[in-house]
Amino acid sequence: MPPPAASSRYPSPSQPSGKSEVTDLKSQLRQLAGSRAPGVDDSKRDLFKKVISYMTIGIDVSSVFGEMVMCSATSDIVLKKMCYLYVGNYAKGNPDLSLLTINFLQRDCKDEDPMIRGLALRSLCSLRVPNLVEYLLGPLGSGLKDNNSYVRTIAVTGVLKLYHISASTCIDAEFPATLKSLMLHDSDAQVVANCLAALQEIWSLEASHSEEACREKESLLSKPLIYYFLNRIKEFNEWAQCLILELAVKYVPSDSNDIFDIMNLLEDRLQHANGAVVLATVKVFLQLTLSMTDVHQQVYERIKSPLLTLVSSGSPEQSYAILSHLHLLVVRAPFIFASDYKHFYCQYNEPSYVKKLKLEMLTAIANESNTYEIVTELCEYAANVDIEIARESIRAVGKIALQQYDVNAIVDRLLQFLEMEKDYVTAETLVLVKDLLRKHPQWSHDCISVVGGISSKNIQEPKAKAALIWMLGEYAQDMSDAPYILENLIENWEEEHSAEVRLHLLTAAMKCFFKRAPETQKALGIALAAGIADFHQDVHDRALFYYRVLQYDVHVAESVVSPPQQAVSAFADTQSSEIKDRIFDEFNSLSVIYQKPSYMFTDKEHRGPFEFSEELGSTSITPEVSSDIVPAQQFEANDKDLLLSTDEKDDNKGLSSNNCSAYTAPYESSNISSQMQELAISGPAASATTTQSSFDFDDLLGLGLSAAPAPTPSPPLLKLNPRASLDPRAFQQKWRQLPISLTQEYSVNPQGIAALTVPQSLIKHMQSHSIHCIASGGQSPNFKFFFFAQKEAEPSDYLTECIINSSSAKAQIKVKADDQSTSQAFATVFETALSKFGMP
Amino acid sequence: MNCLSVSTSMEGRRSNLPIRSEKREREREREREQYRSSMLQCIFLLSDSGEVMLEKQLTGHRVDRSICAWFWDQADSFKSLPVIASPTHYLFQIVRDGITFLACTQVEMPPLMAIEFLCRVADVLSDYLGGLNEDLVKDNFIIVYELLDEMIDNGFPLTTEPNILREMIAPPNLVSKMLSVVTGNASNVSDTLPSGAGSCVPWRPTDPKYSSNEVYVDLVEEMDAIVNRDGELVKCEIYGEVQMSSQLTGFPDLTLSFANPSVLEDMRFHPCVRFRPWESHQVLSFVPPDGQFKLMSYRVKKLKNTPLYVKPQITSDSGTCRVSVLVGIRSDPGKTIESITLSFQLPHCVSSADLSSNHGTVTILSNKTCTWTIGRIPSDKTPCLSGTLALETGLERLHVYPTFKVGFKIMGIALSGLRIEKLDLKTIPPRLYKGFRAQTRAGEFDVRL
Repeated sequence: MPPPAASSRYPSPSQPSGKSEVTDLKSQLRQLAGSRAPGVDDSKRDLFKKVISYMTIGIDVSSVFGEMVMCSATSDIVLKKMCYLYVGNYAKGNPDLSLLTINFLQRDCKDEDPMIRGLALRSLCSLRVPNLVEYLLGPLGSGLKDNNSYVRTIAVTGVLKLYHISASTCIDAEFPATLKSLMLHDSDAQVVANCLAALQEIWSLEASHSEEACREKESLLSKPLIYYFLNRIKEFNEWAQCLILELAVKYVPSDSNDIFDIMNLLEDRLQHANGAVVLATVKVFLQLTLSMTDVHQQVYERIKSPLLTLVSSGSPEQSYAILSHLHLLVVRAPFIFASDYKHFYCQYNEPSYVKKLKLEMLTAIANESNTYEIVTELCEYAANVDIEIARESIRAVGKIALQQYDVNAIVDRLLQFLEMEKDYVTAETLVLVKDLLRKHPQWSHDCISVVGGISSKNIQEPKAKAALIWMLGEYAQDMSDAPYILENLIENWEEEHSAEVRLHLLTAAMKCFFKRAPETQKALGIALAAGIADFHQDVHDRALFYYRVLQYDVHVAESVVSPPQQAVSAFADTQSSEIKDRIFDEFNSLSVIYQKPSYMFTDKEHRGPFEFSEELGSTSITPEVSSDIVPAQQFEANDKDLLLSTDEKDDNKGLSSNNCSAYTAPYESSNISSQMQELAISGPAASATTTQSSFDFDDLLGLGLSAAPAPTPSPPLLKLNPRASLDPRAFQQKWRQLPISLTQEYSVNPQGIAALTVPQSLIKHMQSHSIHCIASGGQSPNFKFFFFAQKEAEPSDYLTECIINSSSAKAQIKVKADDQSTSQAFATVFETALSKFGMP
Repeated sequence: MNCLSVSTSMEGRRSNLPIRSEKREREREREREQYRSSMLQCIFLLSDSGEVMLEKQLTGHRVDRSICAWFWDQADSFKSLPVIASPTHYLFQIVRDGITFLACTQVEMPPLMAIEFLCRVADVLSDYLGGLNEDLVKDNFIIVYELLDEMIDNGFPLTTEPNILREMIAPPNLVSKMLSVVTGNASNVSDTLPSGAGSCVPWRPTDPKYSSNEVYVDLVEEMDAIVNRDGELVKCEIYGEVQMSSQLTGFPDLTLSFANPSVLEDMRFHPCVRFRPWESHQVLSFVPPDGQFKLMSYRVKKLKNTPLYVKPQITSDSGTCRVSVLVGIRSDPGKTIESITLSFQLPHCVSSADLSSNHGTVTILSNKTCTWTIGRIPSDKTPCLSGTLALETGLERLHVYPTFKVGFKIMGIALSGLRIEKLDLKTIPPRLYKGFRAQTRAGEFDVRL
């Protein structure tokens, strides 16, 4: 057998090559397979390396599978490792070929070298070919009893892998029980940790169909076990510590001593070098003390400095993850970082994703004591080379100005920005000045004098232009040349591409007209004419409306378009406090980074396990699947669409684009209704739903949905669980799956119809009867609600679609229920509740 | 052949398997997916041109490589985020020396854990390969695979402690190559098992033996400072590390004490440090890992002074700017300040620059980065950089100002003032050598204009 010095003939691994090389490799390997010549391992190693490197760069080398397996009979551990790697990569695609590997892997599992035993076992379990499952049992069983901890560690993880290939095989072999005893008695910390990870997963999955697993799962959270782990936490490596801390978060302490004991045990974890451990500990502290207000505050003090250290000492990526969490804490306890604001000053070299979060932090922690310093610092960033950061910092100054009572100094700073004569700085500043004036009209004098000096020609960004135009209209009496600037802008109507700006021009011209009619009349005329001829529906409609209302009565027009303005006391927060609470519950998770509870994004972006499950095989999103997973909001919108006729839909679109402009510059009150709608979406949905994590929690308490025992005989009077919870996704899924068990129509009493002008009131009302709203929508006269309720005693759900027509005073309901025999009883409860709506 | 016989017997058996309700199994499969606790599904290493250099699948759910192409095609501002939601997966990434470490998951998990883990992978690789770059990774990809195999199993991190990894997988250094020639043992895997995994001190091998026992302590400090436009020191703090290198026989128990531990804030310790002695007496008591490690890190805040001052001035008028920057010693640290550099980015609107200095060299790169290498401050004059910048036509004045980044190094002193008092060993081994060093360098030292 020629020991191939021939290997030099092959191209270097980094150059992708075609089929002939693979065929060549194949014959080379075949030659070496049976050889026992000295030095053959070296030749094999060269060839194996080549195969793996082809595999790595994406060339399909599965055709040499047989030869690789044949060559793997060797004592060289690197060869073995390479072969395991190769087999692991291709076994799935060649289940028949992988039968070949079983033989040698099983033999290696009995090798005298524990390292080889371990590696072989790991590879064996990683093959993940379902029909080879029975060959795993023997090696796994002996692996769990191996006298070497390395092998045991791998065997424990192997059990989990087996469970995912075939749960029943794993359970039938009673591996969970073995793991449990290992977890409690093994001397090696890593084995214990792996047992914990595996058991947590297996039992939470089994809990839905086995009461025993459910009990076992709860027992993981029992006091003795929690203390067993916490007392020896230092023996575990950092990652296992994270695992234990995650477990401790779910533990419900019995009393305050219990809480303090745990905190004492964990206190030094806050100084761990690994940020993940620190953050997991922080989560334990925060969750434990939620019910103890004063201790909770002390916890904030305690965790502050470790967190700040993490921000400034780690890599930018680590800082990013930490800063996202700090932001959450600041919202809950604004004071905690108030004196440490310098930690959030941006350094020149930091990546912009860190700078952005730091700017947000600076905005969030600004208070009376530090505003001056923070604003001074932020102003320095306005001249930053990075334009995006410059913009962000100006916005930050504006946000601080809107938060504070004493805005004196800030107004000066903002106005100084206008003197910098940079387009983007001016643009951002104008938008802010506009917002500021809406909240603090008393500053109009100072601002207007500076704003008046800005040439509208230098402003290109629509938002900024709209803001300037709004100010021109609003303060026309204070700006001597306002009518003329407006006239100028109106004359260039055709060149104005943004509909938003044109809308604002119309309104500003109207406002200006009411204040300085003679000077504006001509411009207004041109504007209205141009507006009515405008191709954009909203602009056209608004112009026509103005025209008609002017025709009808100028005073009415004034009271509509330019009523006395009330200062805005608070701008609508983009996130409801319920959502913030929800994210807080999910501290130390991706939710925090996305600033959304996981139910709002995991479905949408995770796309569910469905299309990734191997049965479907491809990563493409099949239409059926994607329609399965409509995110909550979209769900809402869809329903609205169903409900409204087409022309109403158009109107609705118009309305929403009006809203956009209303957000950026104030305009009448049309946004109220839309804000209401938004509330209807976010409010109740958030309060009535649970996320995955708390869902887990429910499961822990044995409330798992499918763990329902046999249906109890339906009680004469149906009692509903006042704190029922269901997440939108589960709702959707059920709604699709369950048949309609009942359709009924009721009439709604007139008081109810009257109260329905605010749909929220119905939602509240029903909630007081333990019927919760998950989504709502529609506009007078058609309203649509989705409700759900849960039996008091058992997790059996009722889903209801309720369409109320306020003009006919009829309500139509469709009920779907887990337990259909009781749906009539539920309908009765629902009707009773509905009939009381609007009654005092 | 043996394997063939296995395969035939398998065929027979498979057909006998009871046909389970496939649908139910599938439903349970879906349900299982929702609760997967194992986290990372795949790790990719990408070169700086976006090529996949290495792919390590961690769970049964293969992540298709196409995700990397998707990732690489994203806009820069989005692509640089450490956590990215792709249409199918969440991606975590860190970039080290041009190599992108990309990890994918589909489940909710602590983001910091993923990021910390990737950082650890990068550290270990760079330690093993003696640096990080495309060629090193490609030449040693087998070692990288081996390391990843031991560092993470089923998506959950296992051992990331370099000392233990070193026992399982020998680094590809010259020494081991030489050894393999001499001993004829060509494997780069040590034969011994990770004894540390079984030892009660996870970071230390059971019983190392050295003929000469050495322990070195380094104080390495970095000064972060911001000087604002008015020349005020806005922020000045020190980030410091106590780095150690220990080669001690047996099971040494060390105590390190500082002369002035009260200056320290925000300490973070290596897992080997016992917490109670520090709480009660501010002494570090520990059994060290073998080899090099970071014993602790700390921060010293609210320093009053930087060792150097930088006084930049820019006046601009009718399209040209006059620049002058003075650098000098503000407070003498008692040791020579070396390797002083000043670098800044010329604003985009500068069309050409003519800058010179009375000391050191000035270089301007094509990307408009200007670096002034000063070295040491001469005794006879104050180094000064001066010259003019021509602005693009149409611009009167400069609106965007550069930030000056200052670099320096001082050997032999820790600027925080921290001093090591003594290092004691419970049992003193024969031929013990102890060494102490200190140094300070500039971290993020920004002077704004």
